[in-house]
Amino acid sequence: MTRIVGLVTTNYLGDKQYEVTVRRPLAALPVLGRYRMLDFALSNLVNAGIDTLGIILPTNYRSIVDHVKSGKDWNLDRKHAGLFYLPGSAYGMARTGDGHFLLRDFLDNRVFLERERDSYIVISSGSLIYNMDYVPLVEAHAASGADITVVTQKAQDPATALMSFEIENGEVLSYKQGVQPGDNAFLDTFVISGKKFLELLGWFEVVEHLDFFEAISADKSSINVRAYEYNLPAFPIFTLEEYYRNSMRLLDPELSGILFDWARPVRTKAHDNPPAKYESGAKVSYSMVSGGSIVAGSVENSILGRNVIVEPGASIKNSIIFQNCVIKARAKIDYAIIDKNNTVPEKAELKGTLEHLAVQEKVLTPALTSDVIM
Amino acid sequence: MAKKECLAMLLAGGQGSRLKALTKNIAKPAVAFGGKFRIIDFALSNCANSRIDTVGVLTQYRPYVLHSYIGTGAAWNLDSQGGGVSILPPYETESGGAWYAGTADAIYQNLDYILDNDPAYVLILSGDHLYSMDYSKMLAHHIEHNADLTVSVMPVDWSEASRFGILTKDENDAIVKFSEKPKNPDSNLASMGIYIFSTAALVTALRSDAKDPESSHDFGKNIIPKMLAKNKRLFVYEFNGFWRDVGTIDSYYETNMALLGEDPEFNIYDESQPIMSNATTTPSQLIGEKAKIEDAIVANGVRIYGDVRHSIVSTASFVAARAKVEDSLLLPNSCVWEGAVVQNTILGERSVINAGLVVGNPNAETTVIGNDVIVDAAYLQKLVEDGKAPKPKKALPVVKTAKSKPRGALAKGGGCK
Repeated sequence: MTRIVGLVTTNYLGDKQYEVTVRRPLAALPVLGRYRMLDFALSNLVNAGIDTLGIILPTNYRSIVDHVKSGKDWNLDRKHAGLFYLPGSAYGMARTGDGHFLLRDFLDNRVFLERERDSYIVISSGSLIYNMDYVPLVEAHAASGADITVVTQKAQDPATALMSFEIENGEVLSYKQGVQPGDNAFLDTFVISGKKFLELLGWFEVVEHLDFFEAISADKSSINVRAYEYNLPAFPIFTLEEYYRNSMRLLDPELSGILFDWARPVRTKAHDNPPAKYESGAKVSYSMVSGGSIVAGSVENSILGRNVIVEPGASIKNSIIFQNCVIKARAKIDYAIIDKNNTVPEKAELKGTLEHLAVQEKVLTPALTSDVIM
Repeated sequence: MAKKECLAMLLAGGQGSRLKALTKNIAKPAVAFGGKFRIIDFALSNCANSRIDTVGVLTQYRPYVLHSYIGTGAAWNLDSQGGGVSILPPYETESGGAWYAGTADAIYQNLDYILDNDPAYVLILSGDHLYSMDYSKMLAHHIEHNADLTVSVMPVDWSEASRFGILTKDENDAIVKFSEKPKNPDSNLASMGIYIFSTAALVTALRSDAKDPESSHDFGKNIIPKMLAKNKRLFVYEFNGFWRDVGTIDSYYETNMALLGEDPEFNIYDESQPIMSNATTTPSQLIGEKAKIEDAIVANGVRIYGDVRHSIVSTASFVAARAKVEDSLLLPNSCVWEGAVVQNTILGERSVINAGLVVGNPNAETTVIGNDVIVDAAYLQKLVEDGKAPKPKKALPVVKTAKSKPRGALAKGGGCK
């Protein structure tokens, strides 16, 4: 079979009201306890046997590089091939336009793409939670003779940040920004041959400020785009509301069982956290808890990141707590998202509602945890 | 390149036969511990945390799992250039081959490795001890005393002293006497089996011991007494932290359980001395709606839908709905099906307790179920006969395990196939 390489784009913004992304790109957002958003796209590519993978970075790339490093945890620190960090333009994070596949970012990396002229390229944005086998996708693409094959799914939820397609007999007829329930949502994943990609990039050089699909939609008569429908769960995470709703959905054993398929493991950076510890008096139900956490209080319908301390009498409900937070004794948290390194003081109350989540932004220096750990 | 200051030699060849079923197929240092670790993690992490970057690991008994676990040593940050982990199994020479005959013989057989690395000091460790220790402090003590050999010791109860190799020291920490399991001990400082040698002294001692047909080639029994007799400079280094040699099922169980509780004797949450391990990536643990968890250590990849109390649940294990796990240790990828009860039991890796069965006896010694065992009605019958499980109150329920499998694909790679 023809060689397949991967490309993950991360040079785009989330929703403006999305406080937890203020200091980091969307793709580096912590999710489901121990993961970062782009783990899913990276793992899907690696699990499809792809050994050459480029990540198009935003200008604030620190958190992505810190997470992925040499790519070792995704088996991408190869002697030949492996991981390539590709520069994205400053324009990516500045623009307010739609789309996650900025032409300028591809054009700026033609050196990487030229080497893959004879390969298939699977391109995905780093902001979807899904565990998809890309091999049948590439096979279907190769068999159909299409120029581009996009991955779609019948939408359950509205999604403003995704595109939707009008499809007939597998062929994409028209495009629009935004998804309504029942639409064919574009799952931000597509495959194209290196040769065709370079050819199209050549055509679109003059409109490099556009999104790849915006450019195609203006010229759709000459480009054959086919849809590949994917039916397993896939969740976009472009707004705070999507982040919360879809994270919580994955507390369901069946859904998380499908996502964390052992045959196609979701890979992430390895940490040396000890296992989680539950003290006498702890009450935990319908929750996800990560390594290094110590729970003495109660946790219900919530997700705890790594090294979260929940002191006695503290109560966490319907909330997502990022790594290294300390919830002091008798603090009460409900419908909240608490970013990294926060300490919620004793007896403090932090309560939101499903419609208006209480969001606590990231703290730059970690909380002093040693007094409670020791 | 700068001369290497200290090289570590890690003795990891022992079977640990008193761990019975747990070491049937794997060497003792590879036995799982504390939810996500294997016993050898502690010695390897101590090396890395003490800035020792070159470690020779001497293996012999059933080494495959241990070898594959150690890999390149990268998991313990030991894959640096000019350093690294070297696996040192017994080998053949032109005059034939032999197994390692004792701790000293194992090191003697690998003098080439030591001399090739040319360190100033050699640290000799056991791969089957559980403790956190900064060896650089012991090395500083060794250098300060201009010692030929420094032995790490810990004070034990006088009543227990006759079970250990006891060192008697003078006021300057110099060793004056070594007594193996003395009936009337005159010191309570027990050897921890951790030695630092100045390289030249080690080479001399090992070469001379190798020529002695009477020797059993053991550091405690032979090397230390001989060096004392030759008036070499031997010193003790006193260590006062947590240290255990988990030689028996009881001590293995108790040391695991010592991690529990609010102020545990053995603290694995100390960020200044992280315990590293070659962990596979598994999802955060999932706790079900009706689960109850108290006083427990639970590793990643675990799913709990039943009750867990005063127990350790290791990586990717599974506790089904209405199951009860108490005072037990579930090793990685093990599985307790719906309604089963597990008490005072060590459940081996990838082992399974079928639905509805009751295993273990809270008032007797800990029940041990080895690796890759499926406890079904027939197996339970044997456990009942051995007093390792209470007699079922009624005829054993015939539950089709397949029916009680959790839905979803998560079960695929775990112990719950």
